Amino acid sequence: MLNLIKRDAIIQKKQLYVFIPFMLFFILMQVPPILTFLVVSIYIPMNAYAYDEKAETNILLNSLPYTRKQIIAARYIGSVFYITLSVLLTIAILLLLNQPFEWHDVGIGVMSSILFSSFAFPMYYIFKRGYVSLATMIAFFILVAFVPMILPKISNQLTNFLHFVQELSLSVIYGSVVSITIVIYLFSWLITMTIYERKAF
Amino acid sequence: MEPIIDLQNVSKKISSFSIDEMNLQVEKGMVTGFIGENGAGKSTTIKLIMNLLKPDTGDVKLFGLDYATHEKEIKERIGFVYDSNIFFEGMNLKDIKRVVAPAYRQWDDALFKNYIDQFELPMNKAIKSFSKGMQMKASIALAISHHAELIIMDEPTAGLDPIFRRELLNLLQELMLDSNQTIFFSTHITTDLDRIADYIAFIQNGKLLFNHSTEEIKDQYAVVKGSNDLLDRDTEQFFINVKRTNSGFNALTNQPKTVQNVFEDTIIMERATLEDIMYYSKGGKEHAKSY
Repeated sequence: MLNLIKRDAIIQKKQLYVFIPFMLFFILMQVPPILTFLVVSIYIPMNAYAYDEKAETNILLNSLPYTRKQIIAARYIGSVFYITLSVLLTIAILLLLNQPFEWHDVGIGVMSSILFSSFAFPMYYIFKRGYVSLATMIAFFILVAFVPMILPKISNQLTNFLHFVQELSLSVIYGSVVSITIVIYLFSWLITMTIYERKAF
Repeated sequence: MEPIIDLQNVSKKISSFSIDEMNLQVEKGMVTGFIGENGAGKSTTIKLIMNLLKPDTGDVKLFGLDYATHEKEIKERIGFVYDSNIFFEGMNLKDIKRVVAPAYRQWDDALFKNYIDQFELPMNKAIKSFSKGMQMKASIALAISHHAELIIMDEPTAGLDPIFRRELLNLLQELMLDSNQTIFFSTHITTDLDRIADYIAFIQNGKLLFNHSTEEIKDQYAVVKGSNDLLDRDTEQFFINVKRTNSGFNALTNQPKTVQNVFEDTIIMERATLEDIMYYSKGGKEHAKSY
């Protein structure tokens, strides 16, 4: 398993030379730190995926002595690992350059990228190569079309919900956001694993 | 003794193509050549053996173990070579080795280095800059450096020049000096097989027509030539397929002794090459067991 996670670093060695200037550019352009954290934490997992999307890569990985469960586990655990690493690096650079940022920027950035990965990973494995962007577009249009329709109908409940949230303490809100994100991530892991187990290469 | 590869009644349907009730056993210490025309199901069968595809029905066992419970153990003992490059194109051999090697407990770095020297492969060049032959050499070096007991190759000689094909066959022969080694490889270049194969498995339209030793094939198949008036409904039964021309007929039989007895001196009988067998089998009747 560790080998599979290490593999991402070997494959992406060259990408890392792009990654750091890219991160510096974001920081020096005074992009809001929250966005910087979001982008840097998505960068490595998504890039790693770009390699794994290739059919040949899956043939290779599945012919080596790994189980399909391990391959997906490495993808999910590895993502958390690389997200942590990228974020720590970003924090270090921000501190070094004396740039201001809030801890909740880090939190929201990381949580959003984990949420994004939770939706993106199973999608990547469900759809064939080349169809992912199409699927994302369709999902986007459905969202755009339906949200305005649904929103007025649930606005009452939504206001109640927001009132309810406002009354909670900040730590409870953070706590629940983190737990919900973790649950979604684990659920996504389970779905991707189920899909991957059935896949033919 | 338990077969190394054991397919029992394996069926798999993939859109319009299907593998039908395949029973295939490969014995330890043997080289089996897996032949069949393009699209006959060779790659699909290999994918079933490698667990890249799961059968709809039937069982696939390797070394007597099944994939459901012993996947890693099985793959640990297999060396694989596919017909296309499955390695990350932009990477060099050094990095590919760093991905592949740690996966195997028995990886032998000295052995790998030996092959790299022998094949004269550069370690620091991107694999996409390699010629087809070099890519194949690299795949082979990666496949045989972990003391695999079973080597599975899908069309390893396709697209290679004759010199390297011969080198490859020599290499396989060297590997076979170790009696624990088993090799299963598909090819449509049948001349490759005359030199090294002990067994020939022949697949057509998703069906395994036979899996015989090369000796059995020599004894069992013959090409028969004679004049057209020898053929009638009774005599045609002896042939798998008959091709008629104005000057006479050519046919393949898997009952050479019977044919010899029936026709005696009126026909010419020759040893059938694998190519003859493949050629006549297309559109012919099924190979009825003659023993």
